[in-house]
Parts: sequence; C-alpha cells; structure tokens
Amino acid sequence: MKPIAFAKSNWRVLLLTLFLSLSLVFLFYPGGVMAGETYVGNETEDQSLHNLEFGLGLDGGTKISAPVVGMTVEEIEVDVDDPDEFEQRGPEIQQTMSDELDLETGDALVRTDYESRQMSAEVFTDNVTEAEFAAALQEAGLDVTEDDVRQGVTRDTRDDIETTIQSRINEAGLSGSRVSQAEMDGTFYIVTEAPDMTDDELRALLEDRGVVEIVMHYPDGEGGQQNETALVQSDFGTIGTASYNTERDYHYVPVAVNPGSAEEYQNMMVENSFTQNPQSCSYGDPSREGQNYCLLTVVDGEVVEAHSVAPRLADNMERGEWAASGNFQMITSTQEEAQALSVNLRAGELRAPLDFSAAQTLTVSPALAEQFKNYSLLIGILSVLTVSGVVYLRYGDRRVALPMIVTALSEVVILLGIAALLRMPLDLSHVAGFIAVVGTGVDDLIIIADEVLDEGDVNSRRVFESRFRKAFWIIGAAAATTIIAMSPLAILSLGDLRGFAIITILGVLIGVLITRPAYGDILRRLLTDK
Amino acid sequence: MGKLEVPEIDYTRYTNRQLAAVPLAVLAFALLILAGGYLVYGSPVALGMDFAGGTELTVETTASESEVESAFSVEPESVQGIQAAENQYIVQFAPTDADVADEAEANLEPVSEDRGVVQLSATTSASFGAGAQQTALLGIGAAFVGMSVLAFILFRSFVPSIAIVASAFSDLVIPLAFMNIANIPLSLGTVAGLLLIIGYSVDSDILLNNHILRRGGDFYESTHRAIRTGVTMTVTSMSAMLVMAIAAWALGVELLMSIGLILFVGLAADLMNTYLLNFSLLRWYKFKGVAR
Repeated sequence: MKPIAFAKSNWRVLLLTLFLSLSLVFLFYPGGVMAGETYVGNETEDQSLHNLEFGLGLDGGTKISAPVVGMTVEEIEVDVDDPDEFEQRGPEIQQTMSDELDLETGDALVRTDYESRQMSAEVFTDNVTEAEFAAALQEAGLDVTEDDVRQGVTRDTRDDIETTIQSRINEAGLSGSRVSQAEMDGTFYIVTEAPDMTDDELRALLEDRGVVEIVMHYPDGEGGQQNETALVQSDFGTIGTASYNTERDYHYVPVAVNPGSAEEYQNMMVENSFTQNPQSCSYGDPSREGQNYCLLTVVDGEVVEAHSVAPRLADNMERGEWAASGNFQMITSTQEEAQALSVNLRAGELRAPLDFSAAQTLTVSPALAEQFKNYSLLIGILSVLTVSGVVYLRYGDRRVALPMIVTALSEVVILLGIAALLRMPLDLSHVAGFIAVVGTGVDDLIIIADEVLDEGDVNSRRVFESRFRKAFWIIGAAAATTIIAMSPLAILSLGDLRGFAIITILGVLIGVLITRPAYGDILRRLLTDK
Repeated sequence: MGKLEVPEIDYTRYTNRQLAAVPLAVLAFALLILAGGYLVYGSPVALGMDFAGGTELTVETTASESEVESAFSVEPESVQGIQAAENQYIVQFAPTDADVADEAEANLEPVSEDRGVVQLSATTSASFGAGAQQTALLGIGAAFVGMSVLAFILFRSFVPSIAIVASAFSDLVIPLAFMNIANIPLSLGTVAGLLLIIGYSVDSDILLNNHILRRGGDFYESTHRAIRTGVTMTVTSMSAMLVMAIAAWALGVELLMSIGLILFVGLAADLMNTYLLNFSLLRWYKFKGVAR
C-alpha cells in the first residue's frame, strides 16, 4: 500500500498514535514542555520522573476559602460638576464615614469613578449596621438609604486583596501557592491554597491586616499625651528589605517618604516640637506622662515600637533639609520583626479583613496525601480491571475486547498528558473524573463493537463505514448529554468538584473526537483483513 | 466460546400498563420516602458536612475507637474506623466553636513521634455550607434542564423525548431515596454522582430510542438489539462503580466511595426505567400514539 493511501485509510489510528506520543512527551519530558514561569515549583525536592502536578488532596497542604468582611454602597450619584471639587469629595466622604462610625484607619474607603461621576463607599468591619452605614453616608450629604447597602465589598477591593495575598505569599517565599476568587450563591470568597503549610500558618498569613502607621505621641499641654497619625502606607515610596546597623546594633527597615508627604511630615515634626525634644521618649512610663516625644510604629492598631528622634535628624528637620531625601528608618527590636514589617509594607495592607467564621478550611497532611495518591492509583487499576473482565466475559473474543481496553486506557494517558501540559494540579476529584471517563469510554466502545459486529461479518469497507456512522450518532448524542450534565459543575465553583467535571468533559471530547473513532478503525482491520 | 449473553425478555406477554406500573410504583415509593424525609427532617435527604457545615478530622492514633470518641470537649457526630488502616479514624462534628484539631493533638497519642495526630482537617462554616447547597441545587437543576432540552433537540417529538426525561428523573429520585434509607448524607461526592447519572443514564435511553425510532426493521428485533448493547454498557459501568465504591470504602476515600455507590444505585434504577418505563412509552407511541 502506498504511504498516502495508507495514511488516508488509517488516519484515525494515526491521529490516536500522534496524541498518545505527544501525551507521553508532555508526561515524561524532563522539566515539562512549557517550562514553568508561573509556578516556580519546588524544584529542589521535586525529582519525580513525571511532569504531573498534584493538588493539596494528593500532595498535602492547606486551603482556606473565606469571604471578605464589609458592606458596600455602589453607584452613588454625586451632584458635583467641577472636576476638582469632585476629586475632593471622595476623601471628605471617607473622613465623615470614619468619624461618624468611629472607624479605625483603613476601615472606610470611598472609590471615585471619574468617567461615570459615581462613587462607591465601603466599610470593612462587623461593628457597624447597615442602617448606621447609610446614616453616615447621609451625614456626608449623599442620597443613600439603607436599602442601597449590600453585604460584601466591591470587585476592586477583592482584586486588591487577591494581589496583596499573592505578594505576601511571594515575599514569604512559598512556591506553588495559588490565590483566586470564587462566587457561591452571591457571596464572593477569597480562596488561598498553600502546599507545605498548616492551617495555623496560612491563617496567620491571612489574618494580619498589615496596616502600618507612624503615629506621633506627644504632650497635649495639659499633663497628658496625645496621638496623631503622621505617616501611612501610601506615604512611603521605596521600601527596603530588613537591614541591620552594625555600628549601633539595631534592626530596621529603610523607607523613603514621598516628597509631598515628607514636606508635610517635616512641618508636623517642627510644629509639634519633636525637633526641639530629641531623645526624650519613655513610652508607657507613667512618671514621664506629659513629657514624651515618641514616634510610634503601629501595626493593625497595636503599638509595636516606640522611638525618640535622633538629635542629628532633629537638626536636619529643623533646618528644613530632611524632606529633600525623605529617608526614614523604621527601627525594630528583632530581625524577625524587621522582616515582618518589610513584608507588610511591601505587600501592602490587606484592604479588608477576611471573615474566618464563614470560611471553609481544608488541611491534608503530606503523609495522608501520599496515602491517597497510592489509594487512588489502586482504585483506578481495580476499576479498569473490572471493566476489562466484564468486557472480556461478554464478548469472549480477544480481538474485540483487547483493543477496547487499550483504547479506554489511552484516553486516560492522553488526559494525563493534557493535565501535565496545562500543569493542572490533580486531586481526588480528578481521579474520580478519570474513572468516570473510563466508564463512559467503554460504554461507547461497546456501542461501536455491537453495531459493527451486528448482522454477520463485516466484509467490505463500505458496510463498515455505514455501520460506524450509525454508531457514531448515538455516541455523539450521549457525549453531548454528558457534557451538558457536567458543564454546570465546571462553571460553578462548587468546591472540589470542578476538577471532576473538567476531566469528565475533556475525556468525553477526546474520546469522541480521537480515541473512539480509532477503535472503530482497529476493529475494522482486525475483522476485515481476515 | 463462553461468553455472557444478555437474556431476552418476551415483551409481547405484557401490556404497556403492566410494564410501566413497576417503575412508576417504585418512583412513587421513592418520592414518598423523600417527602417523608422533608416533613420529618426539613430536607428530603440528610445534609452532610459539605452542606450543613461542621468539622471532619482524620486522626491517626494508637487510641481505641471509644477513646477517640471521648477525647473532645464536644461530642462527635460519628467516629468511623478506616478498614485498610488500623490506626486511622474519621471523626465528624456538627458546627462548633471548639478547636477540635488542637484537642485531638493534645488528647490523643500519635502512632509515632514524627507523625502528627491530625492527618486531615476540614471545617465548613454553616453559611459556607448553605451557599454550597444553593449552588449544588442550581447545578443539578441546570444539568437536568440542559439534558431535557437536548433530548427534545435530538428526537424532535414529544413522547420519545419525555420518555427520556421521565426515566432520567426517576434515575435521580431513586438513588436519593436510597440515600435516605441507607442514611447516606448528601455530600459533594454524592452530588457529583447524581450529575453523572444524568449524563450516564441517558445513554441507554438514547440507544433504545435510536434503535426503535430511527432504524427500520421489526420492532421487537430492534428492541432486543438495543437491550443487548445497552445492558452490556450499564452492567459494565455498574461493576466498575461497585468495585470503586467497595475499594474506596475500605481505604477511607470518601469522595470516590460516594460517587461509586450513587452511580451503582442510579444505574440499577436506570436498567429498570429504560427497559420498562421508557420501553412502554415508546411502544405505545409507535403502535397507538401515531395511529390516533
């Protein structure tokens, strides 16, 4: 037979062979075909022979899905024509909300959309009712009723949170972690997955708001002390890594204050007499009450450090020279604290806290995950053996049964190849999907075999083709129903079941388009060549 | 050659009414059970942790089952030993404020120094569960409607399409009633199983409809050919699912066990529904419905 004619009459088998070889390359080519830029991967320990990636059910780790604490009013119309005035309205409203509702720094946020001339207002706390929130907005001169308030936060806020968590994970050097959003019944959840992390560790990473402030703590002139926020996150430009001063033995994070804020800060330091009172801070000492000039580092509302102003810095500020550089050292007592502060400053604050009381957490130990991996392999093999046994018993003909089993298995190999190519982290639900694919696959092969073998021997190619087409109508219809039945699960974020649905749908597609037609060809050759 | 043959049923001996009576009676009974569950417990089937909220731990300890039971400040809903692993237990709790994972680490003896007690801990808050429940209902509903629409598009006539939809409906209701009787709570795994039933069970209905309506030849001859293929298909799938369910049960892999079990029951129901309910509707349609 000439090569072209051969390819023409066997194209289905050739296509299957092509896909199988590609899958084997995807599975076993060292390092993977699409070398990972997205996931750095744990390359040092990952010396496995294949390119499959496993999710936390088969590899261990923790997943936390938690909604965001907060309330939102969106699409607030503001009757301001002047662009400058419109720009100023935002911070004004935010301040009014903060004052009216007695909120901590960062718990009120107003976003302005200059194109649509609309605003959105959010509060990130549980301590305020919808009515109080609406009342505070009315106080700010907005036409808002309690009905306009909804639970949850804006999309922008969720995206901010996602970005912050991602950078915290990166800063902490955790590879293979993923952050995403999922919607369920109208509530949005922030889903964080981290291998090699326990429940408590991941929670600690997500729990910190990381709102860093520099607060001035100085005499109020009546024998007491007063506090005033001087610098917040957004005032900092470049943020350095945790550093150590060998000469004077202290840990710090070097930061540069933005020019405008630096000028303002310098003025405040002079006005509040900090520059005249260097080195006079005994924070928390009752006997020095009313005489302290301290700069407090406050994280999430808690004072973590208190320091006086160095004499040289005070001189610099007095002369008005400091603001030009704006260099600032945030001093900490330990290296760990400097590290944590640096991560908080770099990753930015978590815009809103997560609500762990409405969360779902899953932690699987690496040992149990390993066990699950072996078990799923065992269960998979047992299922395949059962299918093979029944098929063999039913047909009693190796020519029919053997290719059937091989074809069904090749579907699984191709699926695994795709999973390796896409770096899809496999979980127990995917394993269920693989078994389902073998099940539907064999169903279809039985239809093909029965159809082709029916009414005596297949003696010509034409007879075969016509019977095969008839069989294919049924297979196509059955495949379409399976895909339709599974697609809600693939779209809805119902926990672990997405993987199951995606594998089942992919498997059915591969089966109908590639492997099952090839089985028909194999069967034809085996039956007509004799 | 020794091969398994699918037995032939002599359909001519029974009227359509007689054939349809059996599956309809089973369906009615199943619906009755679900209605009873709804009246007594407020939901047709018991809701598992995924939907009602709660905590599940897999602990590995040298302690006995009764020691595990009494190791917590709140009483567990259930403690279940895993067949294949001597020292592992699955412990379930209703939603609680207690940190049961910490209590397990504190009160139970690990198997060896370098292994922790808690091997798996999953906590679902009640509100998360409620959200998942709505989503699951939406998913099953959408899948069923999608499948029904597709059935109408494929066969473009009322009776054969409604026969598929009716038997698929019964295929879903019977496993649900089985879950109620066997006290299996609804979990993500069982929902996956139910959705797979929608996809799987329709195969044999499509096959039967296709052979009877779209092929020429003798009615009973076509039916027998469809049955031969269809029963082989369903029985193969059923045996795979049964093996998967038993193996997963012994190894303590819950997700795979529930999918396997639900599918096994659903496919068994499908055998009855396809070859009694769907068949009788098709025979009526073919011989009487058209003539009228």
